[in-house]
Amino acid sequence: MKIIDERTEKVLKEFQNNFKIETRPFKRIAVKTGLTEEEVIAIIAKAKEDGIIRRVGIGVRPALTGFGMNALTAWSVPPDKVDSFGEAAAEIQNISHCYDRECPEGWIYNIFTMIHASDREELENIIKSLSERFPECPYKVMETLKELKKTSMKYFK
Amino acid sequence: MDEKDKEILRMMQDDFPIVPKPYKRIGDFLWMDEVSVISRVVKMMQDGKIRYVGPYFNSAKLGYSGQLMAINVPEDKIEAAANAINKYDEITHNYLRAGEPNIWFTLMTPNEKRAEEIIEAIKKELAIDEILSFKSKKTFKIKVNPA
Repeated sequence: MKIIDERTEKVLKEFQNNFKIETRPFKRIAVKTGLTEEEVIAIIAKAKEDGIIRRVGIGVRPALTGFGMNALTAWSVPPDKVDSFGEAAAEIQNISHCYDRECPEGWIYNIFTMIHASDREELENIIKSLSERFPECPYKVMETLKELKKTSMKYFK
Repeated sequence: MDEKDKEILRMMQDDFPIVPKPYKRIGDFLWMDEVSVISRVVKMMQDGKIRYVGPYFNSAKLGYSGQLMAINVPEDKIEAAANAINKYDEITHNYLRAGEPNIWFTLMTPNEKRAEEIIEAIKKELAIDEILSFKSKKTFKIKVNPA
């Protein structure tokens, strides 16, 4: 599946792997790829516009930035409520991820929300407020005990 | 982390400036000079508060599809399970969680065949019959960072 041209691929690869904290970070990519800084910036802007890049930004460690209590919470939401539930959950600041998922046999919780809170009380309040809006949806809270791995997918090698 | 750090994090979070001097641009907004912004960002990376600066790709647009997977293992097998799972680049997130199942990870592949290969290899290595799979049907939100 070839969705992007060679020049774009080269730039995105460097952007993914070699984006340094420095005065002119795009200049480094330009030197590496044999393009000009303007060309690199234009290619990245285009990739954003095309939606290949979802966003450019930072990844933080929630535990070190004020979110010590995290839980994957899965909800059993009937088909006719999936969209309204998903949209309501997406609006909550403390929810970073929300997906409707296919369930294996015997598993009833189809909507998965990743909830981040400063402490247990805040976590419980977030869950309670969503549950009060959808009282017909049972849920399962799976508190994060330990991060075993967290990396970024290397799409360009 | 003081207010200035938080302001920098907010500015960098979702919309990092794609301009020749991005840290100068951030500094201009926050009434700070470029060097102070850069040194604060470097410090936050050293402290581990920031783990990554760069692009986040739309996996679907690049032809990848993802699934959340889960297994349940006894406490004394957690480390072995983590080692068996974590060695694949296609598995980017893995967490130990309360309750059952207790190990939850994400698998991202460009095709079903590669996903099957990895799943079968993990099953074999850990001598387990089943890995629960939750394929995504609809994404309502991906924000990466809370708040």
